[in-house]
Amino acid sequence: MKDQVAVIGVGCTKFGDLFESSYEELICQAAFEAYDDAGIDPQEIGAAYLGTYLPGPSGGKAAVSLGDALRLYDRPITRVENYCATGTDAFRNGCLAIASGVCDIVLVLGAEKLKDRGGRGLPRLGHPLLAKGNSAPGLFALAANRYMHTFGMGRDVLAKVAVKNHYNGARNAKAHLRMEVTEEKVLKAPIIAWPFGLFDCCPTTDGAAAAIICRADLAKRFRSDYVLVKGFGLAVTTGRPYFDPTFDYLGFRSTQMAAQQAYKMAGVSARDISFAEVHDCFTWTEISNTEDLGFCAKGEGGKLAVEGRTALAGDIPINPSGGLKSFGHPIGASGVRMLYECVKQLQGQCGERQVKNPQLGLAHNVGGPGAVSCVIILGSN
Amino acid sequence: MIGVTGYSVYVPRLRLERSLIARAWGGSQGAGEIAVANYDEDALTLAAEAAHGCVSDDAAAADGLYFASTSAPYREKQIASVLATVCDLPRRCQTADFGGSVRAGVSAMLAALHAVGAGARNDVVVAASDIRTAGPESELEGLLGDAAAAVRVGRSGVLAEFVDAASVSEEFTHLWRTDDQRFLQSFAGRFSNTFGYARDLGDAIRSLLGAQQLEPRAVARLALYAPDARAAIDLAKELGFDPKKQLVTPPVASIGSAGVADALLSLAAALDEATPGDLIVVGAYGEGADALLLRVTDELPRRRATPSWQHWLDHKLLMPSYEKYLKYRRIVDVDEPGEAINNVLEFKELKQDVRLYGSRCEACGTVQFPLAQVCIRCKARERLSDHKLAKRGTIFTFTVDHLIANVEHPLPMAVVDLEGGGRMYLQVTDFGEAEVGIGAAVVLTYRRLHEGGGNHNYFWKARPVR
Repeated sequence: MKDQVAVIGVGCTKFGDLFESSYEELICQAAFEAYDDAGIDPQEIGAAYLGTYLPGPSGGKAAVSLGDALRLYDRPITRVENYCATGTDAFRNGCLAIASGVCDIVLVLGAEKLKDRGGRGLPRLGHPLLAKGNSAPGLFALAANRYMHTFGMGRDVLAKVAVKNHYNGARNAKAHLRMEVTEEKVLKAPIIAWPFGLFDCCPTTDGAAAAIICRADLAKRFRSDYVLVKGFGLAVTTGRPYFDPTFDYLGFRSTQMAAQQAYKMAGVSARDISFAEVHDCFTWTEISNTEDLGFCAKGEGGKLAVEGRTALAGDIPINPSGGLKSFGHPIGASGVRMLYECVKQLQGQCGERQVKNPQLGLAHNVGGPGAVSCVIILGSN
Repeated sequence: MIGVTGYSVYVPRLRLERSLIARAWGGSQGAGEIAVANYDEDALTLAAEAAHGCVSDDAAAADGLYFASTSAPYREKQIASVLATVCDLPRRCQTADFGGSVRAGVSAMLAALHAVGAGARNDVVVAASDIRTAGPESELEGLLGDAAAAVRVGRSGVLAEFVDAASVSEEFTHLWRTDDQRFLQSFAGRFSNTFGYARDLGDAIRSLLGAQQLEPRAVARLALYAPDARAAIDLAKELGFDPKKQLVTPPVASIGSAGVADALLSLAAALDEATPGDLIVVGAYGEGADALLLRVTDELPRRRATPSWQHWLDHKLLMPSYEKYLKYRRIVDVDEPGEAINNVLEFKELKQDVRLYGSRCEACGTVQFPLAQVCIRCKARERLSDHKLAKRGTIFTFTVDHLIANVEHPLPMAVVDLEGGGRMYLQVTDFGEAEVGIGAAVVLTYRRLHEGGGNHNYFWKARPVR
């Protein structure tokens, strides 16, 4: 699979509380930007993949939501939903469609309109008795508390992740929360689910992002600085980790497995990655991700953050975009948005957020918590 | 010999100080506290806690369960049957609900004794539970307490032999609640105590002692329902007993008058301290009265309840405010969202969700929940057998969630490793500050989870060990 698929265009809406924009408008904004970026006639698109986690009154249930918004008809369109890995998995499916030889050019688009629901956070879906009382922050907090208990880590380390990601996001025009925060502000914020305070949590966000991918040998037709798909991986583990007596709650096996698949396909190791967009739905998740992706040993993710090694100028910059923490987390859009950042970084278009001379960028989603992870590695051609 | 083979009680952990009621409304209240159910407790869940004290590994032996309450969570739906399922009694058992008046607890026990005596049943669990609500600012408000008691009636291992019983029945309106009244009504005071309580219960006890040709001094303890602090003392005196020595201090003094459970709580208190050979009179009242005579056997010292009545009284948690009581009791409106559990799901998952069974892998021994077809550890296929989960465990990890909508807010959630295997993810209830943490010992308790679909949806929660 390595080097068989190229990204030739990307698009991304402004993320935020987009009360005045519809789901269809967001799809169009992201798609048209990607069309223009690739310089492509949409009629050339052979198939499309739509990533939306939560269908709403304005759409998202099926592929027609994408077809109708873009008037893109008469070809295969598939909706993908795989928890928080929805966006990256939609991209992965697009790559498979091209690698199979069935399609030459594919549109991958993630869109999510969480703010149209009128509530905070995500609705609880599932069994009416089992695990009742869970919330997204509450579920990840179970892991954070066990991790902090085991490794003796304090909330101040979590805060360092928030400070860094807000710093990056403040420098990103399309980010949802564009302000810096101090460690003191993070630590004093109201508690959402212990040990997470408000600034340990990503916001509830609207947004959409798109990528146009094609057979690598066709990429030069569109641009010279196209980006190559080096590897990807997807792994599913239990969606009920809280009932799993074998789970240590110190990290997510799905991320470790997805990363191994992606590294193997790309023929690289974690050491070769220049920067990564990782799934920082909560500050602790970023710390655990850096370990699970192999950037440091288990239990040392906090140290990596404290020592500034994950900052823009560090040796492994994590979430130069601002991450879910600052850029926002419209579920299905997030993975594609991460790939948008990877492409822009690899093309050297990120201004004051630009990572120095990147060769390989990694995007990672984890959902569930831990039930599913997807890792994509992109590289310059 | 037939009689009582086991007994146990349950008092909710929360207490409302009477001084907080007085502070809210003015006027005077007695000293002390009343026991109040937590926001997720009702007559069914209190009864489940009490019944677990005398039904554990030997649930399969029981062939009947009678539930008594004047405050059952449903107007139409049998609770005894639900309770039998929660206690994992065999499906082939006889169940019945008793209600109508606070006499129903002893009436249910008497029915069980008669059923066993007649040879129709071998082993019947009787659970009596009440969570009666007095109107705010009413005279009853500081008098009622929430609690449950359970006794097991059978032939083998009898700790208190059933000697005789006497009943009287005649209309007298003392306590009542019409079909559309939420708060308990009463004609309390000297008139009702004299011409209702003392006349009816006194008559039943005189009849019982007369038939057995017993003088009051031959009776070791009197375990009587008491509507207030005075009534039982006055009655004991009138009957020729020495209230100080013979009358078990009625629950009204320590936790409030506990409805159908009241006389059985007094019986438990008596049994906690009785010696073989003691005669105990149990008396309950309501539109008449029932009195039972029991004789303690040599079995009692081996079969006393643990925890004891005194233990439940001691392990308490004071409510911080009267307002919180109003909220927990739904006297002020609270928003309680939740998805209904439909009856198909309930039917399918009864063993897992109510009887609380997980799966045990025969290949690697791993106990897991929910029920599984493939082992979570060794992936063995179709080698899993049903495994009854233990009700005790240790918190592996936790959070305290401020985002979730719940009457108790913020809501602690815990991942609990159960004794003997299995891991559960549960809401935590009845906790004091700083009691929820990694390594804390907890007990599983059957509680009201949410009110989705206009129905009471129950599930297990974790509570600190008391």
